Amino acid sequence: MAAKRTAPPPANPNPNRRRVTSAADDSASAPPSKRMLAFHFLRALSRIHSSTPVPRRTRTIRRAAYSSMARAASPRSAWSRALLRQVRVRRAVRSRRAVLMRRRVSAAPAPPLGASRSSVSAGQTSVAPPVRTPPPRQEGEPARADALRQLIPGGNGMEYCSLLEETADYVRCLRAQVQLMQGLVDLFSGQ
Amino acid sequence: MSSRRSRSRASSGGASRISDEQISDLVSKLQTLLPEARLRSNDRVPSARVLQETCSYIRSLHQEVDDLSDRLSELLATADVSTAQAAVIHSLLM
Repeated sequence: MAAKRTAPPPANPNPNRRRVTSAADDSASAPPSKRMLAFHFLRALSRIHSSTPVPRRTRTIRRAAYSSMARAASPRSAWSRALLRQVRVRRAVRSRRAVLMRRRVSAAPAPPLGASRSSVSAGQTSVAPPVRTPPPRQEGEPARADALRQLIPGGNGMEYCSLLEETADYVRCLRAQVQLMQGLVDLFSGQ
Repeated sequence: MSSRRSRSRASSGGASRISDEQISDLVSKLQTLLPEARLRSNDRVPSARVLQETCSYIRSLHQEVDDLSDRLSELLATADVSTAQAAVIHSLLM
């Protein structure tokens, strides 16, 4: 029972079990393979190139970068799941907003869309779903962890220990994604 | 610094009893991830500093992603995609 680690335990019920870096740990925290990153991102890029009009491309490409990074990462990471969840939420909000806009244009002045609009046009990856009560801060957790929680997707629901692990994973993946994009830019501009 | 306090305080939440060793382990792992320019020395750096550097590093990475996606959108518009894609795929997947 102790050997099986199917999901990352958010609240560790067994405090005696030491998190020794075993082989399973290494494979879980290894950066995603470059191939998977390239595959997802390139596929998204080709789709963007054929469909999206030019003026909105930057935002779309950036969103595609984050979601392809989340897809390439292991689903064991909480941040990748949170990122994909945000993508879904954002898409639902946008479609709802499109419907409301159409209704607003045809009808009389509707109630302001300020609430939904501001959450979507913020554009940051740290857009959180509507209501998320953060867990009480743990003992020994420094105040800086709050800033970190806001940076890591899904960081608000994590304990301090998992937050640190997720941060490491996120940093690795983010760095690999940046390297990938930099390589792409170099290649394209070298043509 | 702050990690010392947790040991003296009585453990109220039994479920979240994580040893300081684990936390400092994780923090040192984070420290190794940071680029060389931000590491003061290879040994003890206060964990608050590591967290701060990690935050700024993540922010700078986000900024880089933004810039790179900006350049990519420009390049995608102008470049000849089919031959470029072939070259890119070839180099990235080999």
